[in-house]
Amino acid sequence: MDWLIVKNDFIRNKVINLSLLLFMMFSVGLAALSMMVAVQTYTSISELYEIAQPPHFMQMHKGEIDREKIDEFMSAYEGMAYWQTITMINAYGENITIAGQKDTYDLSDCRLDIGLVMQNEAKDLLLNAKHEPVTMRKGEIGIPVLLRDMYGMEIGDHVILTNQNVTKEFVIREFILDSMMNSTMASSTRILLSHEDFEMLSGDIGENEYLIEAYLTNAKEASAFQTAYENAGLPQNGQAVTYTIIFMLSALRDIVTVFVLLLVSILLIFVSFICIRFTIMAALAEEISEIGTMKAIGLSFSDIRAIYLNKYRVLALAGVIAGYIMALSISSVFTKHIGDTFGNMKISPLAVILSLVVSCLVFFLINHYCKKVLKKIKRVTVVDALVSGKGFEKEKGGIKDGLFKSKTLSVNWLMGIREVFYRFTNWIVVFAVVSIAVLMILVPVNLMSTFEAPEFITYMGSSLEDILIEVENGENLETSYARVKQALGNDDAIDKYFEYRRVRVQTADAEGELMNLKIDTGDNAGNELQYLSGKAPEEDNEIAISYLNANAIGKKDGDSMLLFYDNKVQEFVISGAYQDVTSGGYTAKSKYNFSELTAEKYSFSVNLKDKAEIGKKVHEWSTALGAGVTVDPMEDFINQTLGGVVKQLKTVVFATIIIGACMAMLITVLFLKLRLAKDSYEVAALKAVGFSAHDIQQQYMIKTGCVAIIGILAGIILTKFLGERIVNTALSIAGLGIKKVELITNPMVEYILCPLLLLVLILLVTRIAVRTIKNCNIISIKNE
Amino acid sequence: MNIILDVQYLCKTFDDTRVLNDINFKVNEGEFIAIMGQSGSGKSTLLYNISGMDSPTSGNVWLRDKEISKLKDTRMSEIRLKQMGFIFQHAYLLKNLSIRDNIVLPGFKLGKLSREQVNQNADALMIKTGIRNVADHDIKRVSGGQLQRAAICRALINQPDILFGDEPTGSLNSSTTNEVMDIINAVNADGTTVIIVTHDAKVAARAGRVIFLADGNIHEELIMGKYDRDEKKKLAREKKLFEWLEKQGF
Repeated sequence: MDWLIVKNDFIRNKVINLSLLLFMMFSVGLAALSMMVAVQTYTSISELYEIAQPPHFMQMHKGEIDREKIDEFMSAYEGMAYWQTITMINAYGENITIAGQKDTYDLSDCRLDIGLVMQNEAKDLLLNAKHEPVTMRKGEIGIPVLLRDMYGMEIGDHVILTNQNVTKEFVIREFILDSMMNSTMASSTRILLSHEDFEMLSGDIGENEYLIEAYLTNAKEASAFQTAYENAGLPQNGQAVTYTIIFMLSALRDIVTVFVLLLVSILLIFVSFICIRFTIMAALAEEISEIGTMKAIGLSFSDIRAIYLNKYRVLALAGVIAGYIMALSISSVFTKHIGDTFGNMKISPLAVILSLVVSCLVFFLINHYCKKVLKKIKRVTVVDALVSGKGFEKEKGGIKDGLFKSKTLSVNWLMGIREVFYRFTNWIVVFAVVSIAVLMILVPVNLMSTFEAPEFITYMGSSLEDILIEVENGENLETSYARVKQALGNDDAIDKYFEYRRVRVQTADAEGELMNLKIDTGDNAGNELQYLSGKAPEEDNEIAISYLNANAIGKKDGDSMLLFYDNKVQEFVISGAYQDVTSGGYTAKSKYNFSELTAEKYSFSVNLKDKAEIGKKVHEWSTALGAGVTVDPMEDFINQTLGGVVKQLKTVVFATIIIGACMAMLITVLFLKLRLAKDSYEVAALKAVGFSAHDIQQQYMIKTGCVAIIGILAGIILTKFLGERIVNTALSIAGLGIKKVELITNPMVEYILCPLLLLVLILLVTRIAVRTIKNCNIISIKNE
Repeated sequence: MNIILDVQYLCKTFDDTRVLNDINFKVNEGEFIAIMGQSGSGKSTLLYNISGMDSPTSGNVWLRDKEISKLKDTRMSEIRLKQMGFIFQHAYLLKNLSIRDNIVLPGFKLGKLSREQVNQNADALMIKTGIRNVADHDIKRVSGGQLQRAAICRALINQPDILFGDEPTGSLNSSTTNEVMDIINAVNADGTTVIIVTHDAKVAARAGRVIFLADGNIHEELIMGKYDRDEKKKLAREKKLFEWLEKQGF
């Protein structure tokens, strides 16, 4: 009998039940999908790492090395499991030409340092998509998937390496997965050659760079090892990374995807709850006399509740199954990047099981919520239901008179606005859903514009300038520095430039152990960064430290810290803490120049008088300054570093906008359908006294429009208050060295385009939904 | 006398059932007509078709020199607003408005008079119908009789040419029925044409003409003459009508 009631209800309220089903389906689908992407990201990377075995610590070094000294240190280090020193031939983008099937181009615009390597023997292996170590034959080349995605290369394309003395042609045989350098956020990428070709090219194409890699018995000891390594005076002219950083850089793009999917699914679950509550209340109000009668004849609360609960259970179950199937079928779109970057893995059983668990969890949540809402049946008395007509509605406050006081406002506007102001609770569903839709759309949109904004660089520990010049060459560092200084000093195109000198000192960490601290010194050091607390250093005895360093040292701004260098101890006051993703997030800035210490690196941030000349100047200086000096336009630096994240985010944002807008439209239609059914008496009365269908439709447009505008405003305020918190929480969890991001928004998009688009869509569906008003008249009311 | 409403060959069919069958009658300006008939005879359907609330299947309805049976919704709403007033068995007042706001609403919508003037007219009507003291009350907090009087005030706020009533006293007790009918008779005495549907012979006895409907046809008409408040004359009218209705099998 219960099933018959459920079936009849489905037939009678097709539109409402279908909408509810869709919301449940999407909320379950997205929750399952986010779990799938999260698990897939983790398991894919883990599996890749298991076979490829990236190091726990890796130091890059340009210049000569003393292998014996390294081996001596490594073998003596307690907890060392394995180590290797890999030779990599540096190749410049302009020396690499790709002859593809469609066109021929070189890689001169590639910001990444390109290194030529051969396959390693046991660890840090370069793999194919099936996670098999790849070995090249003579004349063959393996291109990293990162470069394939950037340039659209294909298997069979020809790669020509040229230098003054040598020209060598290769054929692309495989696209390789590099467990260590597979992200645009890494600074280098590796191209695989055969042993023969590698030996042949060694010394001819570019200078050698070394990757000193250490494998520890306990990977968590990587930071301690790094300190010991640096203190031992071993080669360190280049970037150093630990296992955690490698992992995080690889996964950033997918972490962002998971975050957005999760956010949308949580918001959709909220919306489902709002819809469920609204439809249950509408159904109960409509069937109040039946409920009263059932109570009167002695049916218990649980018997009556079961009749309604079964319907929502069936709906929720159907929604969960459909949502789970949807998640399974579209997961390939969202895990494509994972497959491309970390290998073509099938969806792991763990992802399938955990997403099923999430789906079941959502089912139980819906079930529990329905039970909670249906408790209202318990509270209503037979008298409320059958005699007084009070029903489930709470006694509303007295009438707010005042229409007669109005002097000018047209009657349709008066009727519309009065209802919105005096009976706002009647429209709370539309308000809540529109606010959530705005939050759902704006957070990812703002996140994307933040990643795209030039200012974002200041969250990454760099200042915002036109061109960034970096000098990183151990032996020729000072010569290269002098060359850059001279070039910049004589150039009239420059508006201003700042130089920074990186030195390494030591300080005590939170446990009192000595740790290394890399400090960028210079007059402008730390001036244009975003500070979490405090400010940039102003005096010589002040120092600004990165967020991760502040955590490691266990100090905050205003505290003093001791720096040990050149057999001296000097006290510095921490002026502020900033966030940084460069150099693993462990950096510091000071105006004091530590002249006693040798520089590890120089960097120059340059502003030009004419921004249009950036491209020209970059090319000019790159050519003139030669090897060992990298010249990058800041915009390219951002685009190439974060381009992957932005690209993925764009897909997600587009999907979110569609989901958010569809949700707002669907709920508005659903709400209006129920509202009009409830208001049929009022509509008929208005028609009887001379209001045309058009007038009444206009009143509903005004009501919906006003509520939507209030909802949009609330959504924008909500985004302002919660958006950054949500993003910052996610970034903190990701542990990238960014704790706080002020969302850089595009006011045109945030305040005009998105709200206007949503408002127009809502009004459009309202216009369609209120068309039925013309069919409502006093006769139909009388006949009911 | 000028003809205000001319109903010609009006037919109404619902699915395969013919409810009204070639109805013809004319209404003079200032007349008070009561339509009576057995339940299901089509009296309410006739009222809704001649007032433009519903469209006849065939036939014509002329309001003065305008044929209103096939007008579009916007045009018909305009006529309803300017020239017609309606009272139903239930007051059908808007729940979110006070008594006063309900009354001024059609006046504000028409916009012919200033809002101040509309408010003054509403006050005058409420005084006349005895509900001035509940003007600012919530409609849930007044009696059924007061609600029906408010509905009459609302129907009269734009000084319509015709007042239509569908069982206007159907939900009222006998003393309130008398009070409400006194108001309607007074409105009619002021020159407003009144057409009501009722099954209450005492109410119908206040009309100048009674049309008896049977099986969708006008079965008979009875001219009652001008209404007089004198008790004896009232009783005589009622007796005359009762006898006539008996003959119709009512």
